[in-house]
Amino acid sequence: MWLHVRLSEVCLFLQAMFILACCFSDMESGPIATSGSVQPNGDRFKIEGRAIVPGVKTQDWISSARVTVEGEEYIGFLGTDGSFVVNDVPSGSYVVEVISPGYKFGAVRVDITSKGKMRARLVNFIKTSEVIRQPYPLQLRSSGPRTYLMKRETWGWTDFLMNPMVMMMVLPLLIIVLLPKVVNTNDPEMRKEMEQSMNMLNPNPELPDVSEFMTKLFSGSKSSSSKAIGGSKASGRPAVKRRWCQNITCTSGLRNYCNWSCHGNYNAIFKKSFFIRLYNCFLSRVFFPSSEIQVCK
Amino acid sequence: MKPPAKMSKPTSLFVIFFSLFVMSEAVFEDQVGKFDWRQQYVGKTLFAHFDSHSQSSKKLFLATDKNIFASFNSRTGELFWRHVDKAGPEGTIDILLLHGQDALMVVGGGRLLRSWDTNMGGLNWEAVLDTGSFQAACFVAMQDTVKHVAVLKKAAISLHYLTNGHQKWVENLPDSDTVQYQAVYSGGEEEVYVLGVVPNSHLTIIAYSLEDGEIIKQRSVEAPWLSSVESSCVVVGHGVLMCVDTATLALYALPIQAEEAPQFNQILLQVTPVQPRLEVSPGFQPVLVSSQPHPARSPISEFFLQLGPDHHVLLQLNADGYTIAPLRDFQPAFLVSFSTTGEKTVAAVMTPKNETSDVFPPQLYVHAFLKKDDSVGYRVLVQTQDHALTFIQQPGRVVWTREEALADVVTMEMVDLPLTGTQAELEGEFGKKADGLFPMVLKRLSSQVILLQAWLAHLWKLFYEARKPHGQVKNEVTIETLSRDEFNLQKMMVMVTASGKLFGIDSKSGSILWKHYLENVQPNAVFKLIVQRTTAHFPHPPQCTLLIKDKDTGLASLHVFNPIFGRKSHIAPPALPRPILQSLLLPVIDQDYAKVLLLVDDQYKVTAFPSTKNVLQQLQEMASSIFFYLIRSDQGNLSGFRLRKDLSTERIWEVVLPTEVQKIVAVNGKRPNEHVHSQGRVMGDRSVLYKYLNPNLLAVVTESTDAHPERAFVGVFLVDGVTGRIIHEAVQRKARGPVHFVHSENWVVYEYWNTKSRRNEFSVLELFEGTELYNSTVFSSLDRPHLPQVLQQTYIFPSPITTMEATLTEKGITSRHLLVGLPSGAILSLPKMFLDPRRPEVVTEHSREENLIPYAPEMPIRTEWFINYNQTVARVKGIYTAPSGLESTCLVVAYGLDIYQTRVYPSKQFDVLKDDYDYVLISSVLFALFFATMISKRLAQVKLLNRAWR
Repeated sequence: MWLHVRLSEVCLFLQAMFILACCFSDMESGPIATSGSVQPNGDRFKIEGRAIVPGVKTQDWISSARVTVEGEEYIGFLGTDGSFVVNDVPSGSYVVEVISPGYKFGAVRVDITSKGKMRARLVNFIKTSEVIRQPYPLQLRSSGPRTYLMKRETWGWTDFLMNPMVMMMVLPLLIIVLLPKVVNTNDPEMRKEMEQSMNMLNPNPELPDVSEFMTKLFSGSKSSSSKAIGGSKASGRPAVKRRWCQNITCTSGLRNYCNWSCHGNYNAIFKKSFFIRLYNCFLSRVFFPSSEIQVCK
Repeated sequence: MKPPAKMSKPTSLFVIFFSLFVMSEAVFEDQVGKFDWRQQYVGKTLFAHFDSHSQSSKKLFLATDKNIFASFNSRTGELFWRHVDKAGPEGTIDILLLHGQDALMVVGGGRLLRSWDTNMGGLNWEAVLDTGSFQAACFVAMQDTVKHVAVLKKAAISLHYLTNGHQKWVENLPDSDTVQYQAVYSGGEEEVYVLGVVPNSHLTIIAYSLEDGEIIKQRSVEAPWLSSVESSCVVVGHGVLMCVDTATLALYALPIQAEEAPQFNQILLQVTPVQPRLEVSPGFQPVLVSSQPHPARSPISEFFLQLGPDHHVLLQLNADGYTIAPLRDFQPAFLVSFSTTGEKTVAAVMTPKNETSDVFPPQLYVHAFLKKDDSVGYRVLVQTQDHALTFIQQPGRVVWTREEALADVVTMEMVDLPLTGTQAELEGEFGKKADGLFPMVLKRLSSQVILLQAWLAHLWKLFYEARKPHGQVKNEVTIETLSRDEFNLQKMMVMVTASGKLFGIDSKSGSILWKHYLENVQPNAVFKLIVQRTTAHFPHPPQCTLLIKDKDTGLASLHVFNPIFGRKSHIAPPALPRPILQSLLLPVIDQDYAKVLLLVDDQYKVTAFPSTKNVLQQLQEMASSIFFYLIRSDQGNLSGFRLRKDLSTERIWEVVLPTEVQKIVAVNGKRPNEHVHSQGRVMGDRSVLYKYLNPNLLAVVTESTDAHPERAFVGVFLVDGVTGRIIHEAVQRKARGPVHFVHSENWVVYEYWNTKSRRNEFSVLELFEGTELYNSTVFSSLDRPHLPQVLQQTYIFPSPITTMEATLTEKGITSRHLLVGLPSGAILSLPKMFLDPRRPEVVTEHSREENLIPYAPEMPIRTEWFINYNQTVARVKGIYTAPSGLESTCLVVAYGLDIYQTRVYPSKQFDVLKDDYDYVLISSVLFALFFATMISKRLAQVKLLNRAWR
């Protein structure tokens, strides 16, 4: 929906631009006729502007920079304050660029009418008549230093461990190995708590439990489980009194394994069962890539 | 939500492709400067100034014939900064004046006046001057401070403020159509004097008021002997104009400021009481040299008179302003110059030490400075005829030399370095004919012993050097120590410059190993460098031939030399009395393994070089299969010829492109040393699309004579060079040049300017035979009945380009990249994959399997693809690519104003271990696994034993 609104906005904007372009169309034909062939006695104009590299002193970069108009057809140099003037330019349409080996600058198209009226707009090589006005005299701000070099991929333990595949392997392993040791399963109170947490984990009776799901999968009743999920979604959330809510959403993004958000007060049960839930989420993501699991109490 | 997800699939695919390329192309951080180097040049010096602003300053300012204003470090000869203006007459520097921190420049024949802040290297201001050709300029001082600059044009004089460039006043010169105004002078008074001359009639002096440009006085002086103020007059002493007349051999003195009607005072050279008598060398135009140390003061009264090419006299104008006194006679003396520091003025005289010095220095710049003990020290900058710039310090010590001829490289070749003695010995063993089993075994053994000896010697050297302190170990490359490396990555770069100076440069370090100055090379000569024999034919030395052709007359001469040592060869080149139209290097070799060079003159007669009996015999045998083509772009004519047995030729085809419609801009064949590895492309459905690989194919590019944007076009014709058959023609409407193109394998890539959309576009033509090959064993132009299928696609390129070349590797297995030189000085490595006419608009299963990138109209430019990162090459004129011994590696040299050498790996380094190969990790993992197996084996044994006991 939002996209549609944006699109219509863009359309409106484009329409406005088109009208603007029409206003300029009388001069548009002028530049086309004159670009390339230099009028022998035609008027010459100057392109003015200023280039800024934020956070860098001008003396550190201006000596290696210059302003080029349409390749090297006309050349200007930068003043000690970063301002520049390119003199002796006949009317036409030109791409003006500040070239510096150290810093990135965007290019601007400058149109000069035969009467010397100036206009600056964004360069668009595909839609050449599109007009997005830029300030004139030109204000060219560097978008930062140029990146030419690649960093070597270094091998480190952290990179290895933070690898999603390794994470997926190691975390469940840790849980499986460590959890029984942390939680004393023989203690009846603990067992009760665990049961409670398991219940909380699985508030939808339709949504299969991990173990249940596994048995179902192996027994070949895949269709029924998927149906069950559809059913659960249709029926909506059970109207249970909610003290706190925990949403774990699994999306199908490449790196976006689990987005989770939490509101309300945590308690011990949640802390203990959180990893189990995460694990649950992983598995369900594997089997139902784009399903949403909502866990509520 | 579903449709966007689907849409994202191709784009994500694209992104993946993208990242792949990024991985394959960029330079890594630790590779910077490892195998690449850049040398920056500025060209031949026109004006030079030493920074006298502060005593300890080490700055040097140069303006050159390449329209460059540069600042150098005078201690090292390195550039501080450099401003490259537009090439050609619009950027020429007419004059460079230095005052304090400001450098003033008149640019483009009096078009612009620029003031530079020499400290920062930035522009103070730029002022547009009125039209009119530039004559002279000088600083104008008022009450001892320099505030203005006067610019004299052909018909006007203007005064500008130094602080902001604003014009104070401009005045038209009276009678500018008859009087040639040539000089402007200011001696610190309230007036500016303009000197003009009506040749062989009279001299005009006009004094302008500084305040408002009013003419204060205007005089004309009879001077029937005077033809030019510029070349024969100087201002000496307190405003005395000193002129020299060649015909009567007399000096004339005239006080400029004189109130009453002035007269020239004649001082005849022969009758002056000068000992010894002054005599002008026959045929020499005497020259006067004077100096005005500060614009606020009048010039010094001493001046030089040059009487011959090597004869100078130092003279002094007496206080009366009419008589001169000789101070000293200098002979031989080639160059003289004045320099002033404080109150002292130094006259520098350059005398040759030995007569044999053939490089005549045309320019001398002297900088004098006061030392701490109040004596005068000096630094000298000498510009020689071969464009070498030498900086000399006090006791005549050469501090540095810059080879500025390299700012204009015309053509170059890369030659393999020779093998070392032992390697050559081994090579020789295989080269010789076998003479029995036993001698062969002996030879093998002896060569192995030699190798062992060499290895031991090498070890000993390593050991010996390791004991020495680190700094003492010399690592310099000299011509004697040059030898080929393992992968043939180090080569000799033979560079030919426009001034006629040849250089041999080591490709690894960039050091100049030899140089050879060819005298009597015309300034408009064209060069062609041909490698006739490589280093592979030991003991025959490698041989290069340089064809030097005068552009106007077409007369040519050959210079044969050894590319490794730069020495001229003993082989006498043939005399070429007639203009040469075409030269071609045949794959035919003579008994000394030199390839045969054929030169076609304007009577279509062929000269062979070398022309031994053996060669002539071979040529006779092969004559019927030797074809060549000639282009006459002025007639729009392209014709093909065949060689006859008597070395005459016959025309077999002709293509005429009418010159009224279009003109031939360039013709290009394929590179002879190019290898194509695969005959075809495997398509998605497992069928093979065979490439059309015609080695005789020529790409002819034409441009329309009509320059109107609506009717202009660019044409590309693919012509078979043997039969003259036009294989394909493509016309790009609403397009104009300059066209840059590369012709290689089965494709032509060309770039042009789209006049309608005002953008640069790349177009690629690819030729295929189809799914079946007509004759797979051999290609013959005479027997190819089917025309190839031609595919074409065009893309937008978001930048203009200056030159283009394709990478080249040993066997052609590595994928190709295009190296594109941009005006910004960057060299872009563009994968050929992006220029593939089979890029689909809609992605299908087949295209994905073929790894075709979906079509996108705009070509990307990523700074990571710049092979020269921030080492920009100003005005890239050419890119030379050469294969190395490694299939993955291509050697690249970009030349223009600068020279940049690097290596590129279009398909990554697949045949050598990467630089960052982690030996530690791999060995530690191996060891860990090894020990783990050992331990687990032991444990398993123990466990088994325990189980057995149970």
